[in-house]
Amino acid sequence: MKRPSLFSLVLALPLLVWQLAFFLFPLLFLIAISFWTVKMFQMQPDLNFGNWQRILTRGVFWDAYLRTMILATSAAVLTSAIAFPASYAISFKLSDTAKRWMVFILIIPFFTSYLVRVYSLQVFLTDAGIINAALGYIGLGPLPLLNNTFGTLVGMMTLCLPLVILLQTFSLNFVNRDLIEAAHNLRCGRLRTVFAVVVPSAKVGLVVAALFAFILSFGDFVSPLYLGGGNPPTLSIMITDITKSGQQWPRAAVVAIMMIGTLMTVAFAAITYAYKERGK
Amino acid sequence: MTSNAIVKFDNVVKKFGDFVAVERADFEIAQGEFLAIMGSSGCGKTTTLRMLAGLEDPTSGNIYLDGERVNGRATWDRDTPMVWQSLALFPFLTVQENVEFSLKMRGVGKAERSQRARKWLDKMQITEFADRNIAQLSGGQRQRVALARALVTEPKILLLDEPLSALDAHLKVRMQAVLSNLQKDLGITFVYVTHSMSEAFSMADRVVIMSRGQIEQIGTPEEIYRQPHNRFVAEFLGSANIFDAVVEGKAEGGWAVKHEGGSTVIPMAELENAKPGDKITFIVSAENMQLSMPAADHDGIEATVVGDEFVGGTAMIFLETSTGQEIKVQKSHDELSTLNRKPGSKLIVNWTSENCHVLPGE
Repeated sequence: MKRPSLFSLVLALPLLVWQLAFFLFPLLFLIAISFWTVKMFQMQPDLNFGNWQRILTRGVFWDAYLRTMILATSAAVLTSAIAFPASYAISFKLSDTAKRWMVFILIIPFFTSYLVRVYSLQVFLTDAGIINAALGYIGLGPLPLLNNTFGTLVGMMTLCLPLVILLQTFSLNFVNRDLIEAAHNLRCGRLRTVFAVVVPSAKVGLVVAALFAFILSFGDFVSPLYLGGGNPPTLSIMITDITKSGQQWPRAAVVAIMMIGTLMTVAFAAITYAYKERGK
Repeated sequence: MTSNAIVKFDNVVKKFGDFVAVERADFEIAQGEFLAIMGSSGCGKTTTLRMLAGLEDPTSGNIYLDGERVNGRATWDRDTPMVWQSLALFPFLTVQENVEFSLKMRGVGKAERSQRARKWLDKMQITEFADRNIAQLSGGQRQRVALARALVTEPKILLLDEPLSALDAHLKVRMQAVLSNLQKDLGITFVYVTHSMSEAFSMADRVVIMSRGQIEQIGTPEEIYRQPHNRFVAEFLGSANIFDAVVEGKAEGGWAVKHEGGSTVIPMAELENAKPGDKITFIVSAENMQLSMPAADHDGIEATVVGDEFVGGTAMIFLETSTGQEIKVQKSHDELSTLNRKPGSKLIVNWTSENCHVLPGE
């Protein structure tokens, strides 16, 4: 290992301080309070494993855990699948000028708060909303679009889609065009080349994009509540429920630690997979 | 199309918008021939190769491959594997998987695929790297993988786009030998694009010289070197002195012509039909020039030394006449030892008639 110079240490210092103050310290604090107890709506420092035992033995927690996992995985897979053709078209079919415009357009959704966008989606998705009204004209519906899994997924994809397309587009821009021509030249047709060459070449970017969609959806509180109806709860809704009922911050901390642990495991596995190389 | 031609370019033109990349390419390539297409960057040599591979479609004209017109036929429906300048090996596949790629695309079964790939890995002497990642190979090993990958389907023709340009000099020469031997062993046609004269002339049976989309000359390396067709080719080869001259009249054994700083006799064989007043361009190669110290009555043209350059056992002396005509003379160090060749000194340049070659294309 090369020894870092004093200069690089000075440059890294703000990051280090930030991470210590706003990530590591709060995380340690979170772990600490998961062992505290609550008496008369007051938290008291303690070393009590009761919170862990209580949460981890409850079926309702594991139901919510599984539901959140499935929702976040579905959002990551669906978003990636819907985003890919768009990213492919932007990266491979558009001129450089058009590409720049598309990147700009994909950034626009971030101008508006996610909460505001989710609220306005309600107008589209309710039984009397714009989509069902339109369906009504042609004698269909109303379809249940709100307060269910469909609604939750629409919200999560609204959150993730622009980001996933941007990340996918950037990674596809770096795919060596010679490889695509070489594949064609070696008898690989157009569609097959996408799966045999483009996807493996852009693997790191595609996996990281899907990972971001998973992380954002896994911790999302807004869509499951306002578009999914909040019942049955996801883990993030469960955290707010627990804190509201009897100031149980220590038990909420247990749920939060379980979420952080899950995200770390998934992120580590995904990145290991993304960078795995073939051959010895 | 002559009977043993595998490729025929019939008046092929390629335009990108208003830019003419290839203008009227019209030539044939024989079965089993090693053809080099040479020129500086942007001359249209790579576009010509890409049209043959099916990666570009000609704007007009026809391309025939093995007797069949292939205009508009996609590259995956042709049997024209190419070796890229970047090699374009798939970094996400192992060496053997790279070699098997086109067999897999043709639906060849796993066992046969593996066996055929192994045969080519053996032939290219890279069997021990079969399970390696591409990133772990050296430049020369990657070249061999790229060749194995292109040849595994045993095509009749192999296209190569400056495959050696990234290698160091020593490895380049070694790979040239590998390519030459491979082409002879397999007896298939190689079409080799390069900007390097040494690569083209050392390996190819025939060389196509291109500039600005046009074919300037096609011939064996010997023909091109001895008898360049026009000023471009002569300048591209770099070792010829080019003189513009005017025919004055018949002389003993040829035509007397007048040029900057003197006159000379061009042999009849070089210039059959001429009349006084005709403008011609002739060349004399640098190694056929004579140099001497100025004397009272000299025969030749006086020129001033500009500088010199060592070329192995010989030196190239650069001179200039008072009217600006540039002259190059290549001599051994022994021959030069009696001459004062400091920059600024004057020397007499001379040549004999039989070393004059008229450029027919001028």
